[in-house]
Amino acid sequence: MPETNAAPSAVHTRWRPESIWIEHGEEESDLARRVRTRLPEVAVEITGDLRAAEPSSFAGGKRRLVIQRYRGAFVQHCPAGTTGMVCCNYLVTNFASNCPFDCSYCFLQDYLKNNPAVKAFTNASDGLAEIDALLRAHPQRTFRIGTGELADSLALDHLTDLSSELVPFFAQRTNVLLELKTKSDCIDNLLRLDPRDRVVVSWSLNAAVIATHDEPGTATLEQRIAAAARVQAAGYRVAFHFDPLIAHDGWEDGYRDIIEQAFRHLDTRRVAWVSLGSLRMTAGLKAAIKARPQHAAILDSELVPGPDGKERVWRGVRVKMYRQMLRWLRDVDAEMPLYICMEPAGVWEKVFGEAPPDRVVAQRLVAGP
Amino acid sequence: MMDSTIDATFRTFAAERRYSPATIERWARLAATDASALLGLVEELRPSENQLRDLWTWMEEIAARDRRTLADVLAAAPIMAARRAASGRNDRLRLLKGALRRERFPQLSAAEDQLATLIRALELPRHVRLITPEYLEGDTLRIEITANSAATLRAAAAALLAAAATPACAQLFAVLAGAE
Repeated sequence: MPETNAAPSAVHTRWRPESIWIEHGEEESDLARRVRTRLPEVAVEITGDLRAAEPSSFAGGKRRLVIQRYRGAFVQHCPAGTTGMVCCNYLVTNFASNCPFDCSYCFLQDYLKNNPAVKAFTNASDGLAEIDALLRAHPQRTFRIGTGELADSLALDHLTDLSSELVPFFAQRTNVLLELKTKSDCIDNLLRLDPRDRVVVSWSLNAAVIATHDEPGTATLEQRIAAAARVQAAGYRVAFHFDPLIAHDGWEDGYRDIIEQAFRHLDTRRVAWVSLGSLRMTAGLKAAIKARPQHAAILDSELVPGPDGKERVWRGVRVKMYRQMLRWLRDVDAEMPLYICMEPAGVWEKVFGEAPPDRVVAQRLVAGP
Repeated sequence: MMDSTIDATFRTFAAERRYSPATIERWARLAATDASALLGLVEELRPSENQLRDLWTWMEEIAARDRRTLADVLAAAPIMAARRAASGRNDRLRLLKGALRRERFPQLSAAEDQLATLIRALELPRHVRLITPEYLEGDTLRIEITANSAATLRAAAAALLAAAATPACAQLFAVLAGAE
């Protein structure tokens, strides 16, 4: 039985915006009141024009918190699902937009370039009502829903307490798993809640040199792993995303080391899934990465265009990396559910020896321990 | 700071070739030595804007990866060999693009060379072509047969049948599949 009482590293500094903008009419919302109470010294602007709340640069967006209502559909199919790729049928729901971290490879640099402010939505209850209706309409299906596609699921939790609303909601429902995906160690609320096996907390991990140079502002790898151990000890299942895998000098040592570190203090029977994914970029994202002030070494690998229009390191290197990662992960525990994100069936066949239908991939991931 | 003569020369050339403002803006951001080197290239080979854009992107990515200047990249031996080849302008542009591609994608190029060697080992007739996926993003071969008679078609089929039984053919698919 692995150790579960690893001494935690020092807690990662919690994000504080330089300014808060609140949509007119939402000033008395629970969220706005909570944030203002916790950040009394931060300047607040009340605005009737949300466009005015958007800063002129993506970097500026990382310093501003906008509190507003969300007016779209909360639940959507994961945008990573693309024709021709094996897909895990993941759904995403957005209770926030953008992320205070500044990973060099982040697709949000392109996807949210025109609305970059970090946003938290006041009407999470509307989103939960939408989810509830979906779950009631399909009682025979088990859904996987994540909140970490257009935002970090927990990076704002010290301000919003969103997890205190989400975990009890999902804990009461039997045909859904909630995934909270993060690069933070913002888990204090989670430790007070009972997920009843309906909530998976996941961390994105990378080789140490990539985390150091390309994931500024995030919790250190040690802090993330320590948080995973504490969360698992508190009753949650955990998961990891080795995504994006970056081909770089010394990648084998780097990824082998992080896998060893990640699982050293965990019960692998309580690891819900592990995903692998290669760096992939639209032209817009590549341009955004090139425009960053420091040269991003992630662009140095042999990136070639794929059938979906995104650039990835060419297939020979990707397959080699996936196979090696698979070997190391199977050495940790041969039963851990594994999948690859945004790759065609041909790559799945080379790595796993099979390319199952999407619904089979989805079923395996919700199957549980 | 860019030499004004070089700048003016490039802008005149760009106007003649109808390069877009975006290309001229990109040019204006170059360091002086890089601008001079690039001007030399465009004067030699007179690329269209699309041709220049593709070459330029690879040059920049090679320079960034290797911590060199664009001028250094353009002066490297394989690049100069392509630029100086005893061929027409279009052929030299094609050779230059190939040389830059090899510099940008060395492992991919090595894999493509290996596949080309294996395809040659099949000794297929000229009217039968095996085409690998672009950038090797796939594990299937496309076979193209050009036939002007039933006899030619039968000959092509027989050649393919024989080739399929060779060790080189098995190795070809193994390489495509990324087998170690």
